[in-house]
Amino acid sequence: MKSISLYKDNGTWLCRVHPFTKLMYIAAVILIPLFLHTLWAYAVAIALDVAILISGKSLKRARALIIFSFTIIATIFLIKGLFDGDNITPLFSLGSIVFYKEGLLKALRTGCVIINMLLSFSILVLTTKPEDIADEMERHGFSPRLSYVISSVFSIIPQMMGTMDTITDAQRSRGMETEGKLSVRMKAFIPLITPVVTSSLINTRERAIALEVRGFGAKGKRSYLRTWKKHKGDKAITILLIIATFLAFIWKIITWLI
Amino acid sequence: MTAKDIFRTKFDVASIVLIPACIGINYIGKLFASALKLPLWLDSIGTCLGACLGGPIIGGICGAANNLIYGLTTGDSITLIYALTSLFIGFFVGIMARAGFMKSFPRSIITALVAGAVAIVISTPLNIVFWGGQTGNVWGDAVFAASQAASLPLWLSSLFDEIIVDVPDKIITLILTFLILKALPDKLTSLYDASDEVERLD
Repeated sequence: MKSISLYKDNGTWLCRVHPFTKLMYIAAVILIPLFLHTLWAYAVAIALDVAILISGKSLKRARALIIFSFTIIATIFLIKGLFDGDNITPLFSLGSIVFYKEGLLKALRTGCVIINMLLSFSILVLTTKPEDIADEMERHGFSPRLSYVISSVFSIIPQMMGTMDTITDAQRSRGMETEGKLSVRMKAFIPLITPVVTSSLINTRERAIALEVRGFGAKGKRSYLRTWKKHKGDKAITILLIIATFLAFIWKIITWLI
Repeated sequence: MTAKDIFRTKFDVASIVLIPACIGINYIGKLFASALKLPLWLDSIGTCLGACLGGPIIGGICGAANNLIYGLTTGDSITLIYALTSLFIGFFVGIMARAGFMKSFPRSIITALVAGAVAIVISTPLNIVFWGGQTGNVWGDAVFAASQAASLPLWLSSLFDEIIVDVPDKIITLILTFLILKALPDKLTSLYDASDEVERLD
């Protein structure tokens, strides 16, 4: 079955970094440029993301995650550059269409925020197993119910996609149209999704009983199937990131007061 | 029905199992919508089902967990921001369902309008902060561009953009939810019935 997670263990150091360290990195790399509020801070953040992805041999896969956002960013440039309310200074023109400096600068900032966010998240997404995040959260005091929800999603979805294929084939073999005009496709949606949804909801009943029998609701200390090998760098990097974010926050307050 | 009944939530195994199932349904809805190339998202069917079955609290958890899990694991980190929208959609649909607004077809349309209004109120500021006001949907963004060209204020253009995209989406989502709820067997729905009394024989 095909997993929806994009995780792949390519044996680099990045896969062995603790999930929490990666989460802290994401928080820092998004918050610091936000506090400093300058374009070069975004440039540094994006360069850092790219450097980490290259050394983790994951840049190629990250590119696939970023590329879809380019159309949105292009329309942001177009709409802001042409129509933004603060537009005063014309920068260049294509025929009779004039692009303005203020709108384009705003669009550049929005584009940087989006790219930075997508890149920093792809570091986590491409090199961390979802089950590891769930396990580590449970080990650090989150409810086991929460980690069940997370890891369960990843086993339920491939199963549901299997059912979805079966039902699509079944309905097609009965002669249902799934391609063509919008109204045809709209009509096809209900007979396709209802059986999948109903059967997966009915399955929850049996799953609940099965879990209950196996002591899901039991209280007491639990043991773990997998153990996480502690890495020395994790703690030091996390502390550094927290300090950097804090300093940027102070900088924000100081500039705001002055 | 009192406020206490509306918010009553069972945190038993059945409710916990419901959450991943609903998150899966959201994903399947989105997948079918893109497979059939529909111009809608249809990615909150599961959240609405969870809200109708488990109540507002479970609905809110379904919505928030949905966006958080997808955002953190499938690389679609933009959905993370909209966890807030999903949370409130689940919450308000849950309240409406407990108040009896999913019992008949016309009433479920009212629920749909409430869900649409919630989505608009929460998503518009998020769109403005993170995307400069756009939604990323072709139709909505065309309206956005047109109203920006007519030099309307940013928030108003962004609001139009959201209305065009979210209201039809929520109406269809809630109609589907209503149809699916009708098709579910009683032995399943009774699992989540919060108003039942446990009778003891001893």
